[in-house]
Amino acid sequence: MAGLEIISDQGYRIDGRRSSELRKVCARMGVFTQADGSAYIEQGNTKALATVYGPHEVRKGRGKIQHDRAVVNCQFSMATFSTGERKSRPKGDRRSQEMSMHLRQTFEAVIVTELFPRSQIDIYVQILQADGGNYCACVNAATLAVIDAGIPMKDYVCACTAGFIQDSPLLDISYVEESAGAPFLTVAMMPKSEQIVLLEMNSRLHADNMEKVLDLATQGCKDVFAVLDRHVRDHVSESHALMTAS
Amino acid sequence: MAADFKTAQPVEYYRRFLKEDVRPDGRELGEIRHTTLNIGSITTAEGSALVKLGNTTVICGIKAELCNPTAEEPKKGFVVPNVDLPPLCSPRFRPGPPSEQAQVVSQLMADIIENSGVVALEDLCIVEGKLCWVLYCDMMCLDYDGNVVDTCVISLLAALKNVLLPEVTVNEETGSPVTDVEKKLPLNIRKCPVATTFGVFDDHYLFTDPTNEEECLATGVLTVVTTEDNKICCMHKPGGTALSESRLQDCINRALTRAEEVRKLIDETINSVER
Repeated sequence: MAGLEIISDQGYRIDGRRSSELRKVCARMGVFTQADGSAYIEQGNTKALATVYGPHEVRKGRGKIQHDRAVVNCQFSMATFSTGERKSRPKGDRRSQEMSMHLRQTFEAVIVTELFPRSQIDIYVQILQADGGNYCACVNAATLAVIDAGIPMKDYVCACTAGFIQDSPLLDISYVEESAGAPFLTVAMMPKSEQIVLLEMNSRLHADNMEKVLDLATQGCKDVFAVLDRHVRDHVSESHALMTAS
Repeated sequence: MAADFKTAQPVEYYRRFLKEDVRPDGRELGEIRHTTLNIGSITTAEGSALVKLGNTTVICGIKAELCNPTAEEPKKGFVVPNVDLPPLCSPRFRPGPPSEQAQVVSQLMADIIENSGVVALEDLCIVEGKLCWVLYCDMMCLDYDGNVVDTCVISLLAALKNVLLPEVTVNEETGSPVTDVEKKLPLNIRKCPVATTFGVFDDHYLFTDPTNEEECLATGVLTVVTTEDNKICCMHKPGGTALSESRLQDCINRALTRAEEVRKLIDETINSVER
């Protein structure tokens, strides 16, 4: 990258973070009334919203009904004003379809779908502002929304990215770092059982470096988990206090 | 018990409340839900605003692009509104192409922008016949609890007031536009349209700011849009119960006072945001 140093000589990144530092995470649960579960998350400048409807009876396409488990339906969309260039198709383009599919696969793996046979769970995520790590923000927001909806999961799913730029692994890649063209890894995992649910990488990385990057991403997921878990506990105790007070 | 009664006979349930001049959520007939406004929260947009009217939430983001004006109107730019009611905001909306309601509200927004003259399209022209701005105003409902029109209009107006456009000059030699990102100018907002929606119940009771439940039960709705010089710039009454002239006048008067309140709220919020 000409003229743009991703890591300074002192070891700081463009936004002032160290290499293994996450961006600031802000989260809110139960933000909307119409949905069964909802959550909003900010990871640095990436802002995502997730709502969950269900479990309810399967709508359109009776053929989709599964007799032993619930069907998970995900839709990912990006607001037209979320990126630097206006997006002409907020949803339905190939990239969004892929994202929807990845989300569905992730959540089918963690939601205890066997408990709701012949029903459907809808997860809608919306990116309001994009600054790298869209998939991660979506997964984290959706996890909170599913918890808010009271749908049983085997564990949280937390997602995080890690890149390999200028011969050093970097955690939680921002948009500028993403567009530098270096390889980065997206990992979604269940932090308690340390099982990886989804792992994606779309460029070349030397096999020797893989372990370092994966370790960093795993650590990132656990850090995200710590933040999310605190939010969930705060939210639950707050709502409990409200319920007992009235 | 009350909940059972409501499920079994929603209309009768509602009628009993209205007889006592009160609504199930505790509001009086003419009372409007609490309105909150957050301006400039989306930094990727040229202007943005998030509005909550009770539980109804709408976010409006405005993106500006450069384009060529049409041959018929070489001095005019474009304002393109679009309203999205995604399945995310309410269980009544299904995934797929925009619903009928979303298209109706989008068209209503386009009419309001044109009729009120909130932005003079000539202001968006940079070089006559060559270059102009197109403002894409995307309004997205995040939580649907009735009265989405009023909420959209507030978010649109607040976001337009938040817009900062970079100064554009045309390079004489190459003829290509040069944007000066350092120098950003606000848009000239010429009029401030504000909408107020009324619901009619049982052909008799008239109430403001219907919630989702009330919209479903209402026998008719009416939207009045007024500007700050007390002019009506748009009226929308899609069928339903017929209203007498005097009742219509009541609605207009109520709309005028409401519009004043909303303009004050927007101005206060804008002033509180540092630019």
